Amino acid sequence: MPGMQLRICHLYPELMNIYGDRGNVITMVKRCIWRDIAVTVTDITLGEAIDPADFDFFFIGGGQDREQILVCDDLSGDKGQAVRQAVEDGVSLLAICGGYQLLGKYFLTYTGEDLPGISLFDVKTVGGDTRFIGNIAVDCEVDGIRAQLVGFENHSGRTRLGPEARPLGRVIKGYGNNGEDGTEGCVYKSAVGSYLHGSLLPKNPRLADWFILRSLRRKYELEELPGLDDALENAARDAALQFTMKEKRFRKRFGR
Amino acid sequence: MRPEAPEEIASRLTGGCVLVSGTNGKTTTSNLLAGMLRASGLQPVHNKVGANLMTGITASLAQASDRRGKPRGDIGLFEVDEATLPAAIKRLTPRMVILTNLFRDQLDRYGELESLSRKIDAGLKGLSGGSCILLNADDPLVASLGGESTARKYFYGIESEDIGEIGLRHAADSKNCRSCGEKLSFSAHFFGHMGKYSCPNCGLERPAVDFAATRVELKGTAGSRLDISTPLWNLALNLGLPGLYNVQNLLAAVGGAELLGLDDHNIEAGVEGYSTAFGRGERIPIAGRTLFLVLSKNPTGFNEVIRTLGTEGRDLPIVAALNDRIADGRDVSWIWDVDFEELAPLARFIIASGTRAPDMALRMKYAGLDAARLTVEGNLKKALDKAIERSHEGETIYALTTYTATLDMRRLLTKIGVAAGYWEAN
Repeated sequence: MPGMQLRICHLYPELMNIYGDRGNVITMVKRCIWRDIAVTVTDITLGEAIDPADFDFFFIGGGQDREQILVCDDLSGDKGQAVRQAVEDGVSLLAICGGYQLLGKYFLTYTGEDLPGISLFDVKTVGGDTRFIGNIAVDCEVDGIRAQLVGFENHSGRTRLGPEARPLGRVIKGYGNNGEDGTEGCVYKSAVGSYLHGSLLPKNPRLADWFILRSLRRKYELEELPGLDDALENAARDAALQFTMKEKRFRKRFGR
Repeated sequence: MRPEAPEEIASRLTGGCVLVSGTNGKTTTSNLLAGMLRASGLQPVHNKVGANLMTGITASLAQASDRRGKPRGDIGLFEVDEATLPAAIKRLTPRMVILTNLFRDQLDRYGELESLSRKIDAGLKGLSGGSCILLNADDPLVASLGGESTARKYFYGIESEDIGEIGLRHAADSKNCRSCGEKLSFSAHFFGHMGKYSCPNCGLERPAVDFAATRVELKGTAGSRLDISTPLWNLALNLGLPGLYNVQNLLAAVGGAELLGLDDHNIEAGVEGYSTAFGRGERIPIAGRTLFLVLSKNPTGFNEVIRTLGTEGRDLPIVAALNDRIADGRDVSWIWDVDFEELAPLARFIIASGTRAPDMALRMKYAGLDAARLTVEGNLKKALDKAIERSHEGETIYALTTYTATLDMRRLLTKIGVAAGYWEAN
């Protein structure tokens, strides 16, 4: 697809990258290159301003409490406003775990730290005394595309969706947003927040392609993306889904 | 067994107890130190490979004592899981704690690095005033530990700056100042978040080093030649273990030995007589080829292995086995933090294996390995067979394996009779 370009903004890559979240950016880049779409990645970190018009896709990964505090502070004000503006303009965005929490209304950590978010997602997060850790499978429907997502979650935050918020999907196995209401993640326009590490996009290439398509459609006349050979991606996802479901059956039988 | 037994047995060790903890390098550091202790005529009581939780330590103490609980050894030398360290300090009252490094490893088990280091700090506070802590100065997180402890602190580190790189890799975990949060600046960077650093904001500096590698000459998988300077000696040593991470392990062992009162001859003899710790770079002859087996269990370890392989040339036959058993960490996300982009051009082929073979294969695909050079074979024996079939007589096959995959490979090699059981080797 010569002549097309996708500009990725990787937010806080050195601070917000826990559990291999950068795999999501690697996946976006490769799936563009394989289709002959020009792709650029710009790292934006503390103290660097953003122009919402400069990017077609934003990514922010998860981080530890300490890093989250630094990022929360940096996102307050103009920078967070720029990210919100971009999403309002239809730019796509993926936020994982800690990044997802900081794009909500607030994250009140278990140790009592109050981290105000940028209110992109209508969600509120409160830290719990235990961590939700394990393989997770999610039934998701975005834009009428149904897919099962698979990943690994590891978070103490319990996220509650507000009245305006739409979840990314329903948990089949695992905890998701809060371990209680069966929801996982949040979708707003072309922005997705999720608790799934894994990395998420490599094993869920349809979601990656959804981001690419949404990003390109803003700039170009485009119906579909050319298909890729996803045999390896699908095999890895199916294998992961299979043992994740096995864990569920095991848990059910033995009450663990 | 009565619950107080380990304390009782430990208290009867005339030489006291030494604990070695940290994410990477526990086994190598304790084996090196054990070799030096033996060279000096002492008999260390040592825990078995990987048995580094309290139960494993208790079992090894019980095994090394007679029926009345009298230990058959002079000094306890235990490698201790990072999360177990506070409990081990409380129960064993060690005379020395060595901390190698702290990386994101099995965080699904430990939670965050920050909370882990807080727990370790609380544990170190419980050390008695007469004991000492030996810390890796190159690791900003480790170097900041023990601030509230009354035990004496000593540091080891690499002083030879010419082997460092400029800039940090993304696998670096601890890049911000522990006291003020500012991004650290590195004048030399070794690997992971290891290097010579300072904080441009609050002025925090890497501590002065007591045990220093003043010259490092890396010789690929063959190891390195080192000049080491200590408060008492200047040593010139040949280390048969690859990579800078093993230089740090040796420094930890040298520091430990000197602080325990060993002399330079014991240290030299210990290094000379050292046989590789299980899976830490063993060469095993098999079917006219050599299998080079390297434990590769987290991003920093893996990146160092890849850097070492870079000195071995191109066109390498490689088996990469990824398991997700509890001892490996159930979460395999970390493979996306490894610079496999640098491994792909070195490989003639990569056979992805282990319980998470498809994940490993997918990572290799996105790292730029074309389909013709990539094979998925979950079964380790079949993967090894394929690697032998597709390599030439006299060639080295590189097996990069996570923790339990290394155990599986070792077991497999023992079964087909090309290697002794690792328990015999230790």
